[in-house]
Amino acid sequence: MRRVGGSHRGLDMWLLQRASAIYMALFLPIFLVCALSAGPLDYAVWHGLFESLAMKVASFLFIAAMLAHAWIGLREIFIDYLHCANCTLLRLALYFAFAVLYLACLVWTVDILWSVR
Amino acid sequence: MNRPRPFFLDLLAIRLPIGGLVSIMHRASGALLSLAIPAFLYTLMLSLNSPEDFARVQAFLDGWLGGLIGLGLLWALLHHLFAGLRHLGFDIGWGEEKLRARLTAKLAMAAAILLVGLVALSSLMNSGGAT
Repeated sequence: MRRVGGSHRGLDMWLLQRASAIYMALFLPIFLVCALSAGPLDYAVWHGLFESLAMKVASFLFIAAMLAHAWIGLREIFIDYLHCANCTLLRLALYFAFAVLYLACLVWTVDILWSVR
Repeated sequence: MNRPRPFFLDLLAIRLPIGGLVSIMHRASGALLSLAIPAFLYTLMLSLNSPEDFARVQAFLDGWLGGLIGLGLLWALLHHLFAGLRHLGFDIGWGEEKLRARLTAKLAMAAAILLVGLVALSSLMNSGGAT
């Protein structure tokens, strides 16, 4: 029989929120330096930035981290502000809607990045 | 058992300490950024799609509406980043003393505003020089 009192996934989420934050905080300045040192930003330079596999993978991980971070953050906001008697269903519906939206965004990201040839 | 809690939520009368202000703005900027993700991906897609679409994105960001949205989201990103780094510091026990916490709160808020101001200024000067 399952113990009542929550799913105990809060700690995992807490940790994932920090891990994704740290990856983004490391990626952003490095990306900025790469972009600025590549020369005056026109289409060729911008496009060329994403041609290497390393940049594709690193930016994919950045956007994946961003999507996970956003989902957990929104979940926290919903938990804090939506706690009327009937709000559990509303919260679940919102988790579901944003999970679908962000998973779609993740697949879209693969398409965007790997179309750069 | 559940005694009613005191409830006071007059947003205009509440005066948050600076740490509370940075914290609620961290949450608000995070919510804004989360909702902006599809628009961000759409912009990324256009910018990588073709030279013409890249130029369209550039023209949009150079306009007053696109510029305002871009600067607003940049501010949200920078505020969220700096306030978030401050919270990561708290996680490892750094900067929890009152004076230092107030100082880093002011620093986080000021750094985001200052950087957005610099970007706005430099883009204004660039567009002014081009025309």
